[in-house]
Amino acid sequence: MIFSEQAVAHQPASHRRDFRAGFVAMLPLWLGAAPFGVIYAVTALEAGLTPLQTLAMSLLVFAGASQFTAAGLFASGVAPLTIVITTLIINLRHVLLAASLAPYLRRAPAWFKALLAFQITDESYAVGTRAFLDGSGSPAYQFGANMSMYVIWPISTALGIALGSFLPDTAAYGLDLVFPLTFIALLVPLLRERVSVLVAVVAGVLTLGGALLLPGKWYILLAGIVASGVGAWLARTDERVTR
Amino acid sequence: MINSMTIWLTIIGMALVTYLTRAPALFALRGEVAPWLRRWLSYVPVAVFTALILPPLLLQTEHDVPQLAFGPALPAGIVGALVAWRGGNVLLTIAAGLVTFWALRWLGM
Repeated sequence: MIFSEQAVAHQPASHRRDFRAGFVAMLPLWLGAAPFGVIYAVTALEAGLTPLQTLAMSLLVFAGASQFTAAGLFASGVAPLTIVITTLIINLRHVLLAASLAPYLRRAPAWFKALLAFQITDESYAVGTRAFLDGSGSPAYQFGANMSMYVIWPISTALGIALGSFLPDTAAYGLDLVFPLTFIALLVPLLRERVSVLVAVVAGVLTLGGALLLPGKWYILLAGIVASGVGAWLARTDERVTR
Repeated sequence: MINSMTIWLTIIGMALVTYLTRAPALFALRGEVAPWLRRWLSYVPVAVFTALILPPLLLQTEHDVPQLAFGPALPAGIVGALVAWRGGNVLLTIAAGLVTFWALRWLGM
C-alpha cells in the first residue's frame, strides 16, 4: 500500500484524535458498566475465586455476560470444560460483531486487527459501528471505544474486590437501563430509511420470540443474522446501500 | 471447591475461546467484499441494536425463565426513543430515560 508523504505525516495526529474521540464517546456507558463490574467481582469472590483470578478474568476474558455466568458455574461446582464451552456459546455473537466491522478494517494492519479484536464488546461495537455508518468512524476510533471499556471494566472489578460484599442495587436506580438507552440513541437515527425500519421490526419479533423460547443469548445471533439478511434481500436492487 | 490451578486453567480456556469468537471474522474479509455480503453486513447494526434494546425493556427473568413484563423500563425506553428521534444525543437520551424511570418509580409504578 502506498501513502503520499503528506498522508503519512498526517496520520499519527489524526489517529490520536480519533482514538480520543472513540474513548470519550464511551464515557456515558461507564455509568452502566461500573456497577456491573462491581457486582461481577462480588459474585466471583463468593464463588471461590481469589481476588487475582477475579481481576485476571476481567482482563483476559473481558466479556461481562460470560464472566457472570462462569462465576455462577464455579459456585455450583460445574466441570471446567462445561464452563469453557458455555463461555464460547455466550460469546458466539462476537463473530457477528466482528464480521460487521471487518469491511471497515480491511486496510488495517494484521497486528492492529489482532489487538483490536481482543476488546470487541457489544457496547464499543455499537458506538464504533455507528461512527463508521456516519462516515466519522475509523479503526483508531473503534480502538479508542474498545479501550474505554477495557479501562472501566477492570477498574470496576477492582473496586468490587475492594468493596467486598457491598452490592449496589443497579435495578433500583435504573442503571441497568443505561445500555439499552444508549443503543436506542444509536438505533433511532438509523430508522429514517424504510428498509432499516423493516429490519428492526423483524429483529424485534425474532428477539422477543428467541429470548422467550431459546436458551441464553442465541436470540442476538438469530435476530442479527436473519433480520439483516431480510434487509439485504429487500434492498437487493437498491445500489445506494452498497457503500 | 475447585482448586486454584483448575480455576486458572479454566480462565485461560475462557480467554482463548472468547478471542476465537472475536478475531477470525476480522481476518476473514480481505480485499473487496462482495456487494451482497456488504449489503447484508450493513444491516447488522440495526438488527443487533434492536436485539440488545428489547429484552431489558420488555422481559424479566424469574427463576431463570424470561417472561414478558411491563414495568417502568418500557416507558423509559419510549421517552428515550422520542428524545433520540428529535435529535437527542446519547447523553440526552440516557438522561431522559433515567428521569422517566425515576419519576415512575417515585409515583409507585
